[in-house]
Amino acid sequence: MNQRIRTIADLDRVIHEPGRLMIVALLFAVDGSDFLYLQHETGMNKGTLSSHLSRLEEAGYVEVSKTYRGKVPQTLLCLTSAGRKAFEQYRRKLKEAL
Amino acid sequence: MDQVGSLLDRPRFYYNIDGMAELGGSVTCLGYALLLWLQTHSSANSVWHRISIFAFVGLMLVIHYGTKAIKTHITYPRTGFVEYRKRYRRLTTIIAGALAALVPVGLVIGSRRHWDITTPASLMGLVFAAAYAYQIARPVRWKWVVVWAMTLGSLVIAFLPADVLGALANDSSAAHPVRAKLAGTILLYLTIYGTILLISGGISLWLYVRHTQAPAREDQ
Repeated sequence: MNQRIRTIADLDRVIHEPGRLMIVALLFAVDGSDFLYLQHETGMNKGTLSSHLSRLEEAGYVEVSKTYRGKVPQTLLCLTSAGRKAFEQYRRKLKEAL
Repeated sequence: MDQVGSLLDRPRFYYNIDGMAELGGSVTCLGYALLLWLQTHSSANSVWHRISIFAFVGLMLVIHYGTKAIKTHITYPRTGFVEYRKRYRRLTTIIAGALAALVPVGLVIGSRRHWDITTPASLMGLVFAAAYAYQIARPVRWKWVVVWAMTLGSLVIAFLPADVLGALANDSSAAHPVRAKLAGTILLYLTIYGTILLISGGISLWLYVRHTQAPAREDQ
């Protein structure tokens, strides 16, 4: 039981937050996506999504790049290799804990 | 953990949010059906027997660039852009190419060996329906009607009398009764599946366009 609690306590807090977990899981399955796709899939508003993405960017898990599609500005997002590793580790630990 | 697993599946299902996977499949099926019909209803030395490879390449190009154009102008501005993982993209291309190539290869092998194609063809149809159910119908409840239509279509074809199947392709180039039956079976399969996918993909695209709107430019 103690071991379980320790495993849960060891979970990556950045990823463990439900909103960020959604973002990381969605980005894990692809090479990259734009802001609009994440907004559509998560159902979050622009401000909430931006703040979660900033937190993930600070942690070095997400890379954000600004580009243009035709004349429309586009924000492209992808998981860094550190983000991928962190998510894999998070899933492994969660499996152990459950 | 299941919720995380379902999130990981979301980008895969997103590919068909606009029905493009089904429309691509329908173009392949109906394109091959047309080619097969032309081949079975023309003389053995007609041009239709020599363009199979060009037809395959042409169909793949139409599907590739057609899908890209619709995604770029309709899907990405409304619900966003996704860059799929290269490994997954490669695997999908290989599977789609293999399936598309399987039809003419099966036709040639079957006709040379005089197989009774009805049973394997019905099994192939059931496998196709199961694959459709797993890959496309899971997240969309009304698409289970499509799965049942495909299953029913396979079973109907499997139980159709040989004469009926043979009559569909009964011409000079398919003069042998076994060959005619084989060609008729595949022709019927491609036409039925192509039509089902066309209807289902068309409804998906219509629903998608109707229920989604591109956000105002500053929202991007």
